[in-house]
Amino acid sequence: MRYTFVFILLLILIGCQTADPGYQGPVNARGSEFPYPQLSDYGFFVGALQEQQPNEGVLPYELITPLFTDYAHKARFVWMPTGKKATVNAEGTVQFPDEAVLIKTFYYPANFRRPEAKHDLVETRLLMKVDGSWQAYTYVWNDDHTDAKLNIVGDYQDVTWIDLDGQKQRIQYVVPNKNQCKSCHNRKQELQPIGPKVRNLNQTITYADGPANQLDKWQALGYLEWEGQAQNAMAVADWDAPTSGTLHERALAYLDINCGHCHHPEGPAHTTGLYLQADQSNGTKLGLCKTPVAAGKGSGGRTYSIVPGEPDSSILVYRMEDTDPGIMMPELGRVVRHEEGIALIREWIAAMDEACE
Amino acid sequence: MPRFLLPILVAFLITGCAQNVPDIPLAEELYTKIQEQLIMAQPGDIITLPAGEYRFDRPLSLDGIVGVTIRGAGMNETVLSFKDQKVGAEGLKITADSVTIENLTIQDTNGDCIKLQDCTGVTLRNVKTTWSGGAKEANGGYGLYPVACTGVLIENCEASYASDAGIYVGQSRGVVVRNCYAHHNVAGIEIENCINSEVYNNRAEENTGGILVFDLPDLPVVNGHSTKVYNNTILSNNHRNFAPAGNIVGIVPPGTGIILLAAKNVEIYNNDILDHKTFGTAIASYHITEKPWENQDYDPYTYDITIRNNTYERKKALPDLSKDFGKMVNLVFKGRPQDILYDGIHDDGREGGTNPMNICIEQAGDDLRFAMIDAANDFDNVQTNLTPYQCVDQ
Repeated sequence: MRYTFVFILLLILIGCQTADPGYQGPVNARGSEFPYPQLSDYGFFVGALQEQQPNEGVLPYELITPLFTDYAHKARFVWMPTGKKATVNAEGTVQFPDEAVLIKTFYYPANFRRPEAKHDLVETRLLMKVDGSWQAYTYVWNDDHTDAKLNIVGDYQDVTWIDLDGQKQRIQYVVPNKNQCKSCHNRKQELQPIGPKVRNLNQTITYADGPANQLDKWQALGYLEWEGQAQNAMAVADWDAPTSGTLHERALAYLDINCGHCHHPEGPAHTTGLYLQADQSNGTKLGLCKTPVAAGKGSGGRTYSIVPGEPDSSILVYRMEDTDPGIMMPELGRVVRHEEGIALIREWIAAMDEACE
Repeated sequence: MPRFLLPILVAFLITGCAQNVPDIPLAEELYTKIQEQLIMAQPGDIITLPAGEYRFDRPLSLDGIVGVTIRGAGMNETVLSFKDQKVGAEGLKITADSVTIENLTIQDTNGDCIKLQDCTGVTLRNVKTTWSGGAKEANGGYGLYPVACTGVLIENCEASYASDAGIYVGQSRGVVVRNCYAHHNVAGIEIENCINSEVYNNRAEENTGGILVFDLPDLPVVNGHSTKVYNNTILSNNHRNFAPAGNIVGIVPPGTGIILLAAKNVEIYNNDILDHKTFGTAIASYHITEKPWENQDYDPYTYDITIRNNTYERKKALPDLSKDFGKMVNLVFKGRPQDILYDGIHDDGREGGTNPMNICIEQAGDDLRFAMIDAANDFDNVQTNLTPYQCVDQ
């Protein structure tokens, strides 16, 4: 008993000693000096870095339908220099000003059923716009989660969690290198953000001062110069929320964010002729009865990307269900299957009733 | 089975498995060093790889930096193995202009050995790609794989055991493949949806098909044209077709010298096309695949073809029976390999009398086995007479 008491006392003492108020200054992000060696150098967060409390001007945001990355949770933030604004182009993609930074921290709650409790921070990726073009850098967290260090060539991290079914999961998470970032974040061979589009931001989230639509909030804060209004703008379906759209809309929303960045007429997979955008109305471009081009063993012996009504005959499903790097799609960004995404795409294909010749 | 054999069998299996563990350790330090150099490179840098055999578990990549050379110590001296690769499908992935890769081997990648995409100015020289376990369906698709590039030179390279094509150039302009050795692939050398290509002084041997010139539908670049295939040795391409089903090269029958599929403006001359059991050269429309397409601009026909002064020697063997294309030969000619086979499928809209697709064949000697098999009409009007296809001086 006595020992326990001493032990607890000791713990408290150590705890007190390490309780650091953390960073309290302003954001320090000058494009000409990017990238800094440590994440803490930017001052994007106040207090203990691992708590990810955004500094003034650092705004959290969420996407309606996000990209799957091995079940990682993602905390997203945007920062822009004082007085700078983003605009919206004709396609509804948010165009950020120079020196804007998109910040995304990948983390795993120890127990997915209690996501707010203890979690494991893996990496924080920064997309920074410098002199008109985007640069990608990733920072890998140290074991104590006190800071994250710039990583150029990529890394592996052992990650474990308890999933929503209470099962223990263990993977070797892959931190991408700069070139691999661009292999997804790519439009006309220029690095580009994927997520921030009007239709994927158009939802209400909870801010420190209460709930608000993200587009309204960005406009109110002067982060977005846009003639549109959130309530009149399109919103993409939430792939995981059946009430948010039809099965077709949810499937396309899922394919758009997970595949459409590469499988786009101006993306790295433009050579395939398979273009998976949320507004794709051409069946062949969507993969219906479309023969593969350079799939190799990725075809799985199947003839068409999608055989209507037959998920088990569709190459799309085969490649989503595999984890062999020579077969799986997406090519990067996952080492496990996204079971819930597969279920959605299977359901979508099964519900189609045309037939291939 | 006697009971005492079981433990022996188990022990044997365990030992057997243990032997599958790669004997080369991961060269993690070298990987980090080289990949960092590739990311931090300045335009024009030469990045050298030391002699030796090294195993990496993820791809090396170069992006956006102009004029970089990646140079090994020699084709057989610097060997990069990607056996048991954990991340990415390629060995080398290049998206950069004016790139040169030379003097090295890339092998055992999960997918393609070297993929270059959207590059202007590609030189691959003294590069070898292979899969060390032999011909397997699980091998990667392509050895050397430039796609959507402009200005591609592939010379003095060797490519083997690809489950699709050893040397594959797709959707590119201005392509030269010369002095290369492609063997034991499904397709030795494939030019697909390209414009202005030359394939010469190569040796394509023991593939399923030696050299393919294809044009496929529903791609951003369709209706490729203008290919010259000359001074090549195309020899004994009788290998079983080990392409995974669903891939277009799956149609190639063992025993194929050259196939032209939906190809336009192709000249084939001064080649030795020897020892094929199905056909030396096939001229075919995309219709022969019986696959659908959607793009209305796609032209599925093969036309404006010249075949002259080649040496044909047939293999004395039963033509292939594993693929429809081979079965067709057997159906019409019962066990007799052909030198030049033309499917006869033509565009009804074209004029030109008995030779609307402008197929010109000028081969010396009277031993040539030529056939137009009238595939569109159930082989009703098979012709072996070359007269309609004699070249006309223009």
